[in-house]
Amino acid sequence: MEMLLSATISGLLMGMLFALVALGLAIIFGVMNIVNFAHGEFLMVGMYAAFLTATGLSIEPLLTLPVSVTICFILGIGSYYLLVRYLLRGPMLAQLLGTFGLMIFIRYLAMAIFGPDYKTLEYGLLIGKSIKWGPVVLSYSKLGTAVISVMAFGVIYWMMNRTRLGMALKATALDVEAAGYMGINTEKMRGLAWGLGGATVGIAGALLTNFYYVFPTVGMLFVMIAFATVALGGFGSIKGAFIAGLIMGLIIDIGGTYVGPQFKFALIYLTFFLVIIFRPQGLFGW
Amino acid sequence: MPMKALKDALSFADLPASERIAFAVFFIFCLIFPWATKGSFAQAVMIQFLIFCLYGLGWNLIGGYGGQVALGQAKNVGMSAYTVALFMVWWDVPFWLSTPLGVIIATVESFILGYFLFRLKGHYFAIATICVSLVWQQLFVNWELIGGARGVELPLKETPNFVYMQFTSPIYYHYFAFVLVMAAILFMNWFRKSKLGYQLRAISSNEAVAESLGINIHWVKVKAYCITGVFAGMGGAFYAVYYNYIDPFSVMHLELSIMIALMTMIGGAGSMWGPIIGAMILIPMDRYLGAWLGAIGITGVDFMIYAFMVMIIAAYEPRGIWGIIEKARRKP
Amino acid sequence: MGAKKKISRREFLKTTGSLAIGSAAFSMGLGVARAQPAEVKIGVIYPLSGPVAHAGKMSKDAVDLCVDYVNNKWPDLPIPIGQWEGIPGLNGAKIKLIHADHRGEPDRGADLAKKLILDEKVAGICGCYHSSVTKTVSTVCERYKIPMINPESTSPDLTKRGYKWFFRATPHDRIFLRDFFEFLGLLHEGKVPGVGAIPKSELSKIGACTENTEWGAGTREVIQEFAKKFGYEIVSDVTYPHESPDLTAEVRNLLAPKPDILMFASYISDAILLTKTMKEFKANAKIFWSQDVGFYQPKFIETFGQEIDGIMNRTVFSKKLFGVKPVAASINEEFKKRSGVDFMGTSARAFTGMQAWAYVLNKAGSTDPEAIRQAAEAIEIPGKELIVPWKGINFEVEGGETNQNTWSSGLIVQYQNQEPEIIYPVDVATAKFLYPWPGLK
Repeated sequence: MEMLLSATISGLLMGMLFALVALGLAIIFGVMNIVNFAHGEFLMVGMYAAFLTATGLSIEPLLTLPVSVTICFILGIGSYYLLVRYLLRGPMLAQLLGTFGLMIFIRYLAMAIFGPDYKTLEYGLLIGKSIKWGPVVLSYSKLGTAVISVMAFGVIYWMMNRTRLGMALKATALDVEAAGYMGINTEKMRGLAWGLGGATVGIAGALLTNFYYVFPTVGMLFVMIAFATVALGGFGSIKGAFIAGLIMGLIIDIGGTYVGPQFKFALIYLTFFLVIIFRPQGLFGW
Repeated sequence: MPMKALKDALSFADLPASERIAFAVFFIFCLIFPWATKGSFAQAVMIQFLIFCLYGLGWNLIGGYGGQVALGQAKNVGMSAYTVALFMVWWDVPFWLSTPLGVIIATVESFILGYFLFRLKGHYFAIATICVSLVWQQLFVNWELIGGARGVELPLKETPNFVYMQFTSPIYYHYFAFVLVMAAILFMNWFRKSKLGYQLRAISSNEAVAESLGINIHWVKVKAYCITGVFAGMGGAFYAVYYNYIDPFSVMHLELSIMIALMTMIGGAGSMWGPIIGAMILIPMDRYLGAWLGAIGITGVDFMIYAFMVMIIAAYEPRGIWGIIEKARRKP
Repeated sequence: MGAKKKISRREFLKTTGSLAIGSAAFSMGLGVARAQPAEVKIGVIYPLSGPVAHAGKMSKDAVDLCVDYVNNKWPDLPIPIGQWEGIPGLNGAKIKLIHADHRGEPDRGADLAKKLILDEKVAGICGCYHSSVTKTVSTVCERYKIPMINPESTSPDLTKRGYKWFFRATPHDRIFLRDFFEFLGLLHEGKVPGVGAIPKSELSKIGACTENTEWGAGTREVIQEFAKKFGYEIVSDVTYPHESPDLTAEVRNLLAPKPDILMFASYISDAILLTKTMKEFKANAKIFWSQDVGFYQPKFIETFGQEIDGIMNRTVFSKKLFGVKPVAASINEEFKKRSGVDFMGTSARAFTGMQAWAYVLNKAGSTDPEAIRQAAEAIEIPGKELIVPWKGINFEVEGGETNQNTWSSGLIVQYQNQEPEIIYPVDVATAKFLYPWPGLK
């Protein structure tokens, strides 16, 4: 019972991180039906931005959040205008593999610049601290990540549903041509969606630096889970991404504890597969 | 009926003369390659190229002609490679008996999973195929009975050994792979003129129309997926005897699945020669650039070039290099 | 075809089944070149790019340094290779290394081995760090009958295959684990300096945590075997995928049954994440032992500072050896000057492996593969000429193993004030054993 409690709590915390990584994918997909393979690389860029700012200026790692968000926002918009815009004309295969090319490019560029070494932050407000009540372990850095993740979801959800900008994004998602006639600059909206996708994963990157190591191929580890998460939640659904993220976290931790840690990833992919077979549009998809 | 199928497979008459000539050149090139080169690295790269041709020709069926972005071929490669390796280690079963079995296992798996997978569409399908192949990889890594993470090493036999397909000289492997690729090309030549081929292309261009024509969409997709599994299985069996060692990371890796799709797309998905053109560009680049740059300590540049090429092609000519060739041919 | 009398075995094999036209003149030319070699080529295959590039880079620096000692005169170096200018047995031929990068992929390793053997005509191969790549590369070497000396792959399988052309200098995982269980035995008998006898009842529960590739899986198997043999109970047995995004469930399962002895086999990235997660759990046990690699790298020490004190590692090398091995100290100084870091387990073994190559070539007095193989089988390098604390290098066929260096042995070190102090073998111990492990807070 104690084990279950401990696993549930850490699973939920981890789940919020997975949800935050998946959020950007959900936004981008919601607006223009494209899966961004390079999403994990955006995360990596965010992590490097946070890490280098924190160590370069010797400041508290949490303060680097704006830096990595800005950099990833620019990266997202840049990717849209330089590449994705053109990919949208082609079939789905070309879109997927085009972003895959982007992923490889960013990854090996990072490898050339930063080298393959693992880097870790050794100081910081949240780093290396935890409270322990019996079997329940609460790590400060994961707690902080969870809090900020929930806040980010709140902000994006509010923005999508309550602001003119969100309405414009939604209109673009539903019908590009009609949105164009209504005077919405759809091209700008799509670019913005990529910027937002990048920015949210930038938040995840900055937070992740607090408890994970940074290296050029770090993206792949998280992006596969993020893919399964957005697909489970239903592509394009922000609520779905959040709930699916929590489910993934719980499966990883509870399943890992009771079935055996070596099967935890097999378990999440299997769960995803079973759910998607019976509900081909995902939990909250349309 | 079989006679007609054979005739269709062997007849390239409907192709333009330039393509027939190119194919003849390619055929002769592969035929004399081991004699024309002294470099054994060149031969190793050539064999790698032929293996990838096989994978790509198979994948082209479902991904190119069928337009279904299936990104999990590595699982079929792995299953067949494991069957061949384990049967030899456990019971000394010759290659020629274990290979059909491995291919059957890979195909049956494709059939069962394909039945479920094709209920999904678009991106859901693509992500689901990735996830399925990751589940298989994880199971193989943890399945101690079949070697788990340690992989399987095939016992060495006296060479040349035609029963277990073990040779010292790469020439044997070259011709074996060459025969497989030629068989695959003939099959594809039949396929593109067959009923299945037309049905698949109809589905790819418009599912609703295809359905209204009375095509059983689900069944056609599953059939194509199974054939793709056969090709991957053959490649896997070959890989096992060629390298004599397999582990879940080298034969079941996601990157292998993606490499197969990428290569086909660069060459031209949905065209007869696309996968071969793609492999012809990517494999030598990967091996040669990797070897040269690695030796002088520069790393990653080859990947960047390759990624750049993928992006350019995906953005400007999604039909790949074959699309460029066709465009050039149309406006003389 | 009368001119073909000088064809070597290797050329013959290369053209088996083909009898290539014109190869007669080609191989004759080579035969002449081989009589008076001005240089002898050795192919070195390491992961120079990809996730473990840092390990490959250190190994590359180590073999390059060794070759520098062999090829040029270093009058101050108190071991024979310092006095050599090239290989004396080969009329002063210089060693030329040809580096290749396998990226951790077994198939790429095999293709590169073919390139080195057939295109570059190397006399032998050295490498490859990953046991999985060593497997495919050694298979290629066996097929083409080219000797290979492996400095650092520790999978016990490698020498069990009866390969004639494969030689391993390092102790393998079985030897390292046997050392550890023998150490536990000494602990029960009270023969370890610094602590009294610790009854077996107090130290009987093992928690094993291994990564899930060839190396970790092999370690796990041997842990299970020895635990059974020596009467310990494995209370938790956790395996995890290399480079996992999260290891919370793993650590929870590992610590839940409260093991006395923690045993690890982890690469550096996982070692960092594991230690961080265990810190969150405020992990405690009596002994913390690990299989070198991740827990024994400068990066690990740097990341955790004083918190690592008490952690034990198996290895073959420690800076603390310099007291008894001055030669290691002076070579380490040169190594640090070139690559910026001290020798650690992997790089010290790479250096030793290349040193073994130099001795073998010298003894063979020829670049003919068969002569080299026989020289390698017969070679006996005394331990005092090595930087590692072994009895020496002597490849033997013994106890079901082929060409394993039976004179090699492992060390067990324990971090004390962030320095790896030797605690086993007890007779070369440099510090008292710190017991119990203080835990992570």
